[in-house]
Amino acid sequence: MKAKFCSTAIFVLIFILPVSFVYGQEKTQNYGKAPDEIFPYQNFTKAYKYHFLIPLTFNGAGREKLAPSGLKEVRIGFLGPLSGSIMVPQGLQMLQGATLALEAANKKGGYRGLPFVLMPHNDAGLWGAAANEVVKMDDEKVWLFLGSIDDIVSHVALRAALKLEIFMVCTGNPDPTYTETNIPWTIRVISDDRASSYALLNYIHEKEGHTRVAVIRPNNRYGRVGIKEYTDAAIRIGHPVVIEERFLDGDIDFTSQLERIKRTSPDAILVWGNAKESALILKQIRSAGLKQPVYCSDRVVSPEFLKIAGNLAEGVVTTCQYNPDSDNPKLKTFQADYLKRFGQEPDVFAAHAYDGMNITIEAIRKVGLNRVLLRDVLTDRKTFQGYQGITGKIILDGSWNDMGDIFMAEVRNGKFLFSPAPPLDLKTKTGSKTGSY
Amino acid sequence: MKKRDKRNWFKFAMLPVAISGLLSTGFIIVENQPGYRNDITADKPVTDGNLKGLTETGSKTSDSKADSKPVPVYGNWKNFTTKDGLPSDKAYCVRIDGDRVLVGTHDGLAVYEKGKWRTYTSKDGLPHNGVVSIDVSEITGDVWIGTLGGLSCWSGGKFENFTQFNSGMPNDLVYCVICDGKDVWVATGGGAGQYDTYTKKWEIFTEKNAPMHEPWTYGISAGDGKIFIAAWGGGVIEYTTKTKQFRDYTDPDGEMEIDLLPDDGPVHDITTGTTYANGMLWVSTYFGLSSYDGSHWKGFFDHDSGLASNFINFVRAEGPWVFICSDKGLSTTDGKNWVTYKKNENNSNGMAIIINGTQKKELPLSPSISHNFIIGVDADADVLWVATSKGVSRGELMK
Repeated sequence: MKAKFCSTAIFVLIFILPVSFVYGQEKTQNYGKAPDEIFPYQNFTKAYKYHFLIPLTFNGAGREKLAPSGLKEVRIGFLGPLSGSIMVPQGLQMLQGATLALEAANKKGGYRGLPFVLMPHNDAGLWGAAANEVVKMDDEKVWLFLGSIDDIVSHVALRAALKLEIFMVCTGNPDPTYTETNIPWTIRVISDDRASSYALLNYIHEKEGHTRVAVIRPNNRYGRVGIKEYTDAAIRIGHPVVIEERFLDGDIDFTSQLERIKRTSPDAILVWGNAKESALILKQIRSAGLKQPVYCSDRVVSPEFLKIAGNLAEGVVTTCQYNPDSDNPKLKTFQADYLKRFGQEPDVFAAHAYDGMNITIEAIRKVGLNRVLLRDVLTDRKTFQGYQGITGKIILDGSWNDMGDIFMAEVRNGKFLFSPAPPLDLKTKTGSKTGSY
Repeated sequence: MKKRDKRNWFKFAMLPVAISGLLSTGFIIVENQPGYRNDITADKPVTDGNLKGLTETGSKTSDSKADSKPVPVYGNWKNFTTKDGLPSDKAYCVRIDGDRVLVGTHDGLAVYEKGKWRTYTSKDGLPHNGVVSIDVSEITGDVWIGTLGGLSCWSGGKFENFTQFNSGMPNDLVYCVICDGKDVWVATGGGAGQYDTYTKKWEIFTEKNAPMHEPWTYGISAGDGKIFIAAWGGGVIEYTTKTKQFRDYTDPDGEMEIDLLPDDGPVHDITTGTTYANGMLWVSTYFGLSSYDGSHWKGFFDHDSGLASNFINFVRAEGPWVFICSDKGLSTTDGKNWVTYKKNENNSNGMAIIINGTQKKELPLSPSISHNFIIGVDADADVLWVATSKGVSRGELMK
């Protein structure tokens, strides 16, 4: 009897269970590391199609092309706000970070004795200038290019990059939708606003226990797209923002927006914007008598914010795509070299441009001067997966978006103090827990 | 007593294991039933071998009414590269213009006439050598050429150029140009532009005066008094020329990372092209294909139809058929029947994969199309021209 039962049980174990493991739906991680509870529609139904889980291949021609003979230099393009934009300070930092990496590479012999030469292009000229600038880079025979910071510029440039088949290493634009275009001609080596939003959401609602958050953000694409992941996820955990106020870049008076915010009695305020406007808003929040904790988007991690906000910046919490105070010796060397070369501290855009340029140079040294082969090696998610840059580990997901660590930054004694973002541990309003970050 | 306890314990321990296994098996059976389409693993492209299985499980190709329609199949392929006189192997677009064929390449405009190629570049007056899009005015016969560095009207042997500097054009990189009566429309990263050839004036459409999320437009087509703009991130913008009214069509789920339901609207808001014929609007994306008959949307993916790939560079409809330029071959469909042309990896041969209702067959082609990465296409009654990543191909309708 026992033997008969055992044989039945063995049959079950051998023939049925393995089948379920083989054919059962594999539970893969959601795109963007989003826990089920905040993944779109996941609380209600499965989607017909899930994107960005498997990287695309590029199936066009060009791998067979040999490098031209008689080259005197190896050109690498650069696209950033270099004049005529409020983002020029950040653009120059980005340019300097890229330049520092390039100069170091040239000291080590460039590429087979040929010097690397940076071909800078301003993305803030005529309307839609980025597309024209990418065409110019193609005419200049650049092998690939770095760019940019502004989300609109980056989108326009990426579409042109696809047409012309020039690889774009994005080092400064955190717009989540950038890599969600499914264009296999880019990687992003800086974490996006989706990751920042989730980290802020976790911190604001779970760590600090706020439930009524007011949002004020610029009435532009950075404001609209940047905050979207936060506001959507806030709804899904049962704490929709109580009000979402808007302003224009360059505004200095936020009285009417803050009056409306005050009337909603929020228990926290999230300011999403550039450093200058965020600092002004913070000052006016306090002068309006609002004492709620203030959280900001990562663009406030700058000396400009601290300078304008002064003592009122104390206690402000935001996120950062890397930890500038890390003990990483490579980072310390970079910071010292940067200060010596350019006479200023590097910011987040300089640091990521430095990493992006180093990856670019390493890719050229690995596969040579062929645009498609450069694309292949940069997107293979093997060669540069886990690349240890000065900004930390670069982990590319299925859309080639950097899923590396996010840090919290809190102003203490006039300085930003950085710490790892707490593990994502969101609960819905009904109390059910989400997955881990 | 002890023995019995052990035996009972073993039974109870095994019972949930067995139930779990049986339940799992049950789910497998359910998931494989027709109509069970919400499967995350369904992202995997269907290989040629299991297309038959697709039709058996309720795919969009299994419409018996469609079986009677003959699928146009092109063969006798002839391929052209730089060896044959093209200025570049990288061909962006192709347009049949009567007895001649116009091909836009990365290094110039190539014109095929009487069996010979002739090249036109910036030295001849083009604003840029990279020719991305071409259309011919039915009214004047003028050739409108969208390049990487401006728009050009080729008329009477001369090129009249339009750029941001010398005209009201939205951007110099012209992804798509079409002629609609007296009007010429362009799709650029700085907005869509309408040029009135009578008044010589431009009107620009962006997010400021049209229901676009952004001004980035990459495809444009016309039909039945309407203009259909493929707006990057904004789905499709429909413009009625008579009333000057806009209407947008976006993916109702509003999310980039999923398509919640395939037939509820465009499969994605990142659209790459539009084309209109026979009352049907076709919309291409890098996520799949959509059709809209004025009442209903329908989505097509590589895992549930004969579509070669979800990554679609361009679409052009002729009559009931739409030609779909993907990164893995050229597909043709009327929404029910499919033909996909593919080249072998290691030689010049290939095949046409024909799905007619529930029947599928593979027709060997020798040679096949020039390359599987298709960027442009044009067709007339008996001939199909294809622009690819490596050369241009000409196929003849097989009777």
